[in-house]
Amino acid sequence: MRCHQFLRSVDRRSMLRESGCGFGSLALAAIAGTKNVDAASSFSPVLPARAKRIIFLFMWGGPSHVDLFDPKPRLTKEDGKPLQAEAVGSGTGSLGQLLASPFKFSRHGESGIWMSELFPHLSQQADRMCVIRSMHTEGQAHGEALLRLHTGQANLVRPSVGAWVSYGLGSENDNLPAFITISPPRGHGGVQNYGCAFLPSVHQGTAIGSAETPIAKAAVSNLGNDRINPSMQRSQLDLIQSLNRQHLSRLGADKQIEGLIENYELAFRMQSEMPAAMDLNDETAETHALYGIGSEPTDNFGRQCLLARKFAERGVRYIQVSTDYTWDHHKQVKDGSVTECAKVDRPIAGLLDDLAARGLLDETLVLWGAEFGRTPTVENGDGRNHHPRGFTVWMAGAGVQAGLTYGATDEFGYAPVENPVHMHDLHATLLYALGLDHEKLTYRHAGRDFRLTDVYGNVVHDVLC
Amino acid sequence: MAQQRFTAVLAFAAVSVSILVQLHVYSAEPAQISFFEKKIRPLLIAKCYSCHSAESERIAGGLLLDRRQGWVTGGDSGPAVHPGDADNSLLIQAVRYDAPGLQMPPDRKLADNEIALLERWVQIGAADPRDGPGTLPSMQADPSDPVSGREHWAFRPLSDFVPPATSTWATTAIDQFVDARRTEARLDPSPQADRQTLLRRVFVQLTGLPPTIQQAEAYLSDDRPDAYERLVDQLLQSPQFGEQWGRHWLDLARYADSNGLDENFLFREAWRYRNYVIDSINADLPFDQFLIEQIAGDLLPAQSTEQRDRQRTAAGFMVIGPKVLLGNDAEQRKMDVADEQIDTIGRAILGQTLGCARCHDHKFDPFPTADYYALAGIMTSTQVMETRYMLGQQRLMEQLIGLGTDGEQVDGAYEQYWRDRPQLQERLTQAKTAIALLEKQDNQALAAHAKKHEDAVAPEVLDLDNSTEQRKAAQQSLIDTLNQLITSPPAIPPRAMVPSDLATPDDEWIRLAGQFDRKGKQIPRGFLSVLGSPNATIPPSASGRLELAHWLTDPRDGAGQLTARVFANRVWHHLIGRGIVRTVDNFGRTGEAPSHPQLLDYLANRLIQSGWSVKSLVREVVTSETFKMSSQHQAAAELVDPDNNLLWRAHRRRMTPETFRDAMLMAAEQLDLTPMNSTVWYLGDQATAVGANNNRRRTDFPCRSLYLPIIRNDLPELFDVFDFADPHAVTGMRPDTMVATQGLFVLNDDSVMAAAESTAYRLFESATPQCTDSVKVQSLFERVLGSPPTPQQRVVFADFIQQSRQELLSEHNQDLTEIDIEKQVWTMACHALFASSRFQIIE
Repeated sequence: MRCHQFLRSVDRRSMLRESGCGFGSLALAAIAGTKNVDAASSFSPVLPARAKRIIFLFMWGGPSHVDLFDPKPRLTKEDGKPLQAEAVGSGTGSLGQLLASPFKFSRHGESGIWMSELFPHLSQQADRMCVIRSMHTEGQAHGEALLRLHTGQANLVRPSVGAWVSYGLGSENDNLPAFITISPPRGHGGVQNYGCAFLPSVHQGTAIGSAETPIAKAAVSNLGNDRINPSMQRSQLDLIQSLNRQHLSRLGADKQIEGLIENYELAFRMQSEMPAAMDLNDETAETHALYGIGSEPTDNFGRQCLLARKFAERGVRYIQVSTDYTWDHHKQVKDGSVTECAKVDRPIAGLLDDLAARGLLDETLVLWGAEFGRTPTVENGDGRNHHPRGFTVWMAGAGVQAGLTYGATDEFGYAPVENPVHMHDLHATLLYALGLDHEKLTYRHAGRDFRLTDVYGNVVHDVLC
Repeated sequence: MAQQRFTAVLAFAAVSVSILVQLHVYSAEPAQISFFEKKIRPLLIAKCYSCHSAESERIAGGLLLDRRQGWVTGGDSGPAVHPGDADNSLLIQAVRYDAPGLQMPPDRKLADNEIALLERWVQIGAADPRDGPGTLPSMQADPSDPVSGREHWAFRPLSDFVPPATSTWATTAIDQFVDARRTEARLDPSPQADRQTLLRRVFVQLTGLPPTIQQAEAYLSDDRPDAYERLVDQLLQSPQFGEQWGRHWLDLARYADSNGLDENFLFREAWRYRNYVIDSINADLPFDQFLIEQIAGDLLPAQSTEQRDRQRTAAGFMVIGPKVLLGNDAEQRKMDVADEQIDTIGRAILGQTLGCARCHDHKFDPFPTADYYALAGIMTSTQVMETRYMLGQQRLMEQLIGLGTDGEQVDGAYEQYWRDRPQLQERLTQAKTAIALLEKQDNQALAAHAKKHEDAVAPEVLDLDNSTEQRKAAQQSLIDTLNQLITSPPAIPPRAMVPSDLATPDDEWIRLAGQFDRKGKQIPRGFLSVLGSPNATIPPSASGRLELAHWLTDPRDGAGQLTARVFANRVWHHLIGRGIVRTVDNFGRTGEAPSHPQLLDYLANRLIQSGWSVKSLVREVVTSETFKMSSQHQAAAELVDPDNNLLWRAHRRRMTPETFRDAMLMAAEQLDLTPMNSTVWYLGDQATAVGANNNRRRTDFPCRSLYLPIIRNDLPELFDVFDFADPHAVTGMRPDTMVATQGLFVLNDDSVMAAAESTAYRLFESATPQCTDSVKVQSLFERVLGSPPTPQQRVVFADFIQQSRQELLSEHNQDLTEIDIEKQVWTMACHALFASSRFQIIE
């Protein structure tokens, strides 16, 4: 059951066309010398960097933390009884009837991190993980919460986390963007969630497909030409460039034309680099199997995760992988959680193993989370409602205090009672892990300096090592 | 920003404070002093001095913590420390983060051990050896002080400068001002651009389109001395002028066909506002009147229904901003909507960042928070949203008001349809079940079904005397009827996005630190004190919008002179390529100062004197020598003034995405100049649905680009890639970036190749079989660039054609006809011209 009913017939062509905004990440601006644009690497890290990049695994819709990572025996004991607001410090009256989790929880690894039975593969990675159980944010509806998750704010258009990272660190690869988002949501803020707002447009996330499109069929728009073969396109480009050079020599000097000439060459190079990065066929059968590619229900998310690894390998700074809008279990939270966990459990475990095997986990921070969690109380008989007041995210990899369970919610999983971590704090911490001080990573716009965390945010040092 | 929060907090926290301050610190034990020196002084320096010392940019809350007397006297809220009583010391309360409104340092709570140190220090007597007066002899000037703020250049009255006498180069007053500044730097102007270049430039700047071959011929063969002026007049009269200059305003008005932000609901009626803007510019509606209508058109008297509707539509400016629609708190939403409106009016009309004063007095510009909330009262006394039934529930949406003679009539039928639709769909499902049972001849089940779903089974079906065929036909007819009902919603009545005044307008309260739920003092509705007349006379029964509209445009007693300056600068920015004030939306202290202040005042005066005629001002600028200069490079001048701030040549500019597309379609003879109404009528209420949606905004209309759908967060890709204005916010100056997506778009996008293909077809249509490649190259250049190729270009193109022809022949000698190959070859050649800098850059 979703929050709203929407038409779901797919016009793949139009969808593919929409997918590609803001490809490109070189600091061409520097060449073009255009104003409003700075070099991508203008801001150098002021802190020691623990991680070189981030992979964010986004579970769109809001997984139920009390069914996955935050076991609450009192829910079982008081199943069906009202949750009194007084008990969770949230005013007075009943907040609804408690709903027990149907799942068995156990501790995993040497660290003894709690996970429910829905993660048979991920649970074997427990000692790589740091689980933050005390997340909280604002936004009772998906749209607002998604924007806060991705940009820190909802009522104003602000750069997304990935755009700030791109702005702060620049790209490690001349021919790939610094920020790639794989299968991003089209609704709930849509491109704003990977937009660059007032930051120079090189920092905009490059979208591959969109959430509802199987990744195997997704593409970056205008990355190739099906009318002109490559050799003819090259001679066409030579013709364009000869025109441009003639124009340039007639005018004497023009940074824009110089920039244009460079830009066409860059675009042409990207046309070959990006498809190579996106081709999964050069990966072994073992690797495919590790991610659950080729079997269901893991094929799609497995492909997304493998793609993320390939981009990580090539130096992309911020990679987001999104599920479809499938975690919004207002009804049948049991069946829904079973189904959705089965899709992502093996691919995520595979990603962590694969990154580790290639030495990439030491420089890549993996974050798992969503816009909010779900209520400990019942909705529609067997579902749970949106819950920004308290929920769980976890991190693994570079810079992460592995094996730690940080923070706690109350006995019902309603609100943090120990070490609360606000969304702004999470953002500050992610930047810190990359060597960026969230208070210093600013951009002057409309007469003032803006930052990802506005006037908020505290780095949670304890979750980092 | 953070420190400002403390200002507000301390200034308004209602704390009664004892005057009894212990002053016996000198008798403190050496151990206590040592404790202070070791633990407390470093802590204060590290965590507090940035906002609470004599060296602070501004002393937040008037509180100094760099001397004993500072906390003894205290700031705006009184003494900060009561020695011996930690719990009752404001300082301790603040660092403990006890009260939500009093949390210091504002950005990050101190560590527990640091708080403990401070508590201990206060508890044991607050020993502090630091001598010094409690307040500074002269506090630094407060940048938000409206009185001293009047000294800032933007707020000074317009001066009436006499154009300086200069060389013979200057033919207009504008030129005299420009020439004088340039001469000071000993720079020479570039010569006048050749007629062809000037023609293309003036066409693109005034209409957004390059000239057609016929238009070019007409001008180039006109040898009358005033041929150029005649051309300018002709362009000013053309409907395309209003489209091009209307779009400039739409950039400022954050025009869009959808809400954007969290819930991207369609603005089905927004196009009426867009077309109102275009029509008003074409009619040369005085700009002051235009602004008054934007802010308060719905409150103006009207002689006719048409006039009333036009004015109402204009006020859509107040409604069309993006809003968080599913936010929980109505009060928060109210303040956010007001903030969006204040920010928009501030930047678009006054060139001021008023939004900064929401949480604190402006840090740089003369706007105290009270001024912000004086304006906020006007906004929150204005209604811009309403509850409508949509997508299965009552939702808060943009307010629509009917147009036409029965304008006030809310269209019940349309809403009723959406309310009934789920039931209709259910009926249809059941009716289909019934026909299935009928097919199976299961009369028993059918009867049971009919009993349960009476309205889903046709009466004839239950009459067993009827033949099976008759029964089926009857049921099918019911299904058809239901299908018909479901698929044909009633027509939507003509409505426009219009604000209205609340029945009971009220003044707004300062919200401490910008937090909606923390009310401070109530502030009478009014305007900006820096521009005088703070005591606006707003009738208690009115929101004050009408008064605000008049104040904004009143050059004598209101903000009209600033408004004129800001707009004149925008005109200059668009025509010349760079504003006299480069930061066109920011005339504040953080913006740039004018490069030609006298010229700016001259232009603003001219605007006002002409009765705020936009066309007159545009005409004056484009007929100046300054506009007509060539963009030719001069090595010597480049060394002195590389950015061309002093205008020794014309600025070159890249085409906007709108012009780029329109010009390609023109070359292909596919551009339809007919104005468009809605281009989003086919979209559902969700402009960008969550999940798949084959009902996506279309870009395949052959109309001018400015009529394409502007869906927030789903712009046409061309717009997205080529720096179109973000429709969420005021954009006076579009970004100018160079990114790889642009290259990829030009090289590979279907729309570019389709236009190239059509252009190639046109070329063939007009060519005779005897035409040589060389002749066709000439024709192609004229069609696309408006000028013939150089001999060198002719050769390069002919070679490319020949080679590509060969390659295609050898590759496809079987499956392609000669004609196919020719078309493909010439399509590629044309595509190359579209991609060239000659096409994309306006000299």
